[in-house]
Amino acid sequence: MERIVARFVAALRESGIRVSPGESLDAVQALALAGMEGRRSSRQLLRLTLVKNVNDIPTFDVVFNRFFNRFQFNDPEINISGLMDAAIVDMEGEFHNLDQLQGDDHDEPGPLLKLDSDINPEDLQELKSLTEVDPDDSDGNETVVQIKGYRGKAKAPRPTRRYTQNPLTIELNKSNSVGREITFSPEEQAAMQDVVSRMMVRLRKDMRRLKNDQNRGKLHVIKTIQKNYRHDMVPFVVALRRKRREKPRLVVLCDVSFSVSHASRFMLLLLHTLHNQLLDVRSFIFNREVAEITEMLSNMPVNDLMETIDEGDIVDLDENSSFGQVFLSFKKKYLENLRGRPAFIILGDARNNYGEANDWVLDEIREKARYMLWLTPEDRDTWSRGDCLMETYGSYCDKVEVVKTVDDLSLVVEDLLRDIYADNAHPLDKKRIREAKVAETYDSSEYYTRGGSGEPAVFDPSGRSHW
Amino acid sequence: MITEQGVKDFLHTGGYIADDAIATAVFLALRMEKPILIEGPPGVGKTGLAKALSTALDFPLVRLQCYEGIDEGKALYDWEYGKQLLYTQLLRTQLDSYLSVSADLREAVERLSAEESLFFSKNFLVQRPILRSFMSEKRSLLLIDEIDRSDDEFEALLLECLSDFQVSIPELGVIEAKRKPLVILTSNGTRMISDALRRRCLYLYIGYPELEREVAIVRVKFPDLCEILARQMVDFLRKARELNLRKAPSVSETLDWAQVLSILKATKLTPEIVANTVGVIAKHQTDLQKVTELAVQELG
Repeated sequence: MERIVARFVAALRESGIRVSPGESLDAVQALALAGMEGRRSSRQLLRLTLVKNVNDIPTFDVVFNRFFNRFQFNDPEINISGLMDAAIVDMEGEFHNLDQLQGDDHDEPGPLLKLDSDINPEDLQELKSLTEVDPDDSDGNETVVQIKGYRGKAKAPRPTRRYTQNPLTIELNKSNSVGREITFSPEEQAAMQDVVSRMMVRLRKDMRRLKNDQNRGKLHVIKTIQKNYRHDMVPFVVALRRKRREKPRLVVLCDVSFSVSHASRFMLLLLHTLHNQLLDVRSFIFNREVAEITEMLSNMPVNDLMETIDEGDIVDLDENSSFGQVFLSFKKKYLENLRGRPAFIILGDARNNYGEANDWVLDEIREKARYMLWLTPEDRDTWSRGDCLMETYGSYCDKVEVVKTVDDLSLVVEDLLRDIYADNAHPLDKKRIREAKVAETYDSSEYYTRGGSGEPAVFDPSGRSHW
Repeated sequence: MITEQGVKDFLHTGGYIADDAIATAVFLALRMEKPILIEGPPGVGKTGLAKALSTALDFPLVRLQCYEGIDEGKALYDWEYGKQLLYTQLLRTQLDSYLSVSADLREAVERLSAEESLFFSKNFLVQRPILRSFMSEKRSLLLIDEIDRSDDEFEALLLECLSDFQVSIPELGVIEAKRKPLVILTSNGTRMISDALRRRCLYLYIGYPELEREVAIVRVKFPDLCEILARQMVDFLRKARELNLRKAPSVSETLDWAQVLSILKATKLTPEIVANTVGVIAKHQTDLQKVTELAVQELG
């Protein structure tokens, strides 16, 4: 039994489920305790002990069905142990091919291959030759298998109304290799979780410094007394009042019109994942009007939100986007009650459809903002073409970045967070962070060219004269 | 010996209808002495399972509600400084006479340090939930509720407790559990729980129940509600769950609604009844409208 479990665990790992040795031991123990009466109960036992994440459950089911169809040798009459070993060795190579034979229906546990009582190793040999593949074909075969393995997990891609006829989407697709459905597949969500958690680990170091810094406040009298009871009130241990923990504030304005829909949808997913982790984010989306979606981001499942946005329930998507108007109405509605010098991120292509630019509003926003960052999916050389006002708007921003992939996006946001934290930090720490940054410059030298425009566009964050 | 069917039966007597997965998980947790981590949408009976288990098994329930910023002083143990101080003050005369026998300072210090452990003994230890459940004479049920609300540091703190059932107190050493409690952790999935913690637990996902089970749950809680109505309302709610609501009605809403309907002495679902009681099942303004529309569509 241990061997079967071990093989099964190996199969799970192959499909991308992380299973630790401790968990496989648990599985063996559980099977020993509860017995293996039937397929259902064994499946439940294995699932309880081996799978530790909801998203992995469908994959587990697929692997389980596939795997234990191989092992359906139920007839106790035959002495199968030797034969089975031979069969396993022989079938190992055929595993992928069998997978194809099985077809779509993963839920039907019908036996794939039954051992008749009169079967012999020669038959197996024959079976092997039957399914032998042309070596030239092997590549193609493998691709098919990969797609098959995928099927259990992801929903079939759904064509959408909005994201289809857009040249930019196609380009983003190339670099992203994401489907064109509006909703996010579990893989995408998991990938984003991954990106964010990696980002968190990198940021954590800086945050810890900040935390130490928080304790450098005034004397906390009551806590000091409490702590020094045991010293008969001689204040050996001093407790300091914590400084109010300042969560960095972030305001995101996200264009959701056709032209940037792909980039913005990942921005929204990133925000959704980041939300409440360490940030105080206020998110707005706009096309011609602007609307706040902060509440929805934290309350709604991300796919529902995407759908709501896509249906045009929040802002009308059938209009042409107008940055000038959006800035104006943002100023009227929200700018007054933005607290505590937030950092601004604006995501959009700055294509104003030849409307009024209203760039003076950006100047006012700048006054309120600690930092202003513009993210655009377009390459630099198109910034002044047509109705694009990137050059005009860009002159008000601290930085303009070309963002095309999720990784770009997360790097940019991480950089921004680091800057904000550095801004909040104690002067001593500031110095340290700055030094660390200088040491890193070499790594980030190719940072700005990552967008793939070919032309190395270097932005000087402090000098607006560049524009 | 307990069997899975046994688990189901005694949970039934505790008023909880379990499906196979739940019964198996509980059975294994009892036999393997491992914690169960339960995830699922709010209101499907994660905490309810713990409560039902505690009554059915007659394990005292020790509950630890997690929140942001919870630490060991709130979850494991704390020293009672006030009491320590009071005792030193009161015992001052005894201490004086006890120490006056010693010839010089060195001897006095030695005498005193021999008694040091008196002041860091279990007398002065305030037991917080986890330690309390470990120290309980009877096997207890430790419910760590909504673990996803706590921070990473607290999760790391739990690792030792959950895998070895022991608490390390620097002044006292390692305290092992007298009887290993049955531990249940619940999470609403608002934050990813670390893999380290997941590895130490059996993982149980409780989703929305199947039709038959949900009807059975309603029937157990409200036996006077007629079965046809129960079936009808459960059926309706299952359709409502597919509506893409901001807050989908969960089992707790089903039970609330059943209670409302039995108070109103309703015998049949009509769009009017749904419209009048819709506040029980939908908790957002936009949802109210969608559910009312569904009622007209389905029942009108």
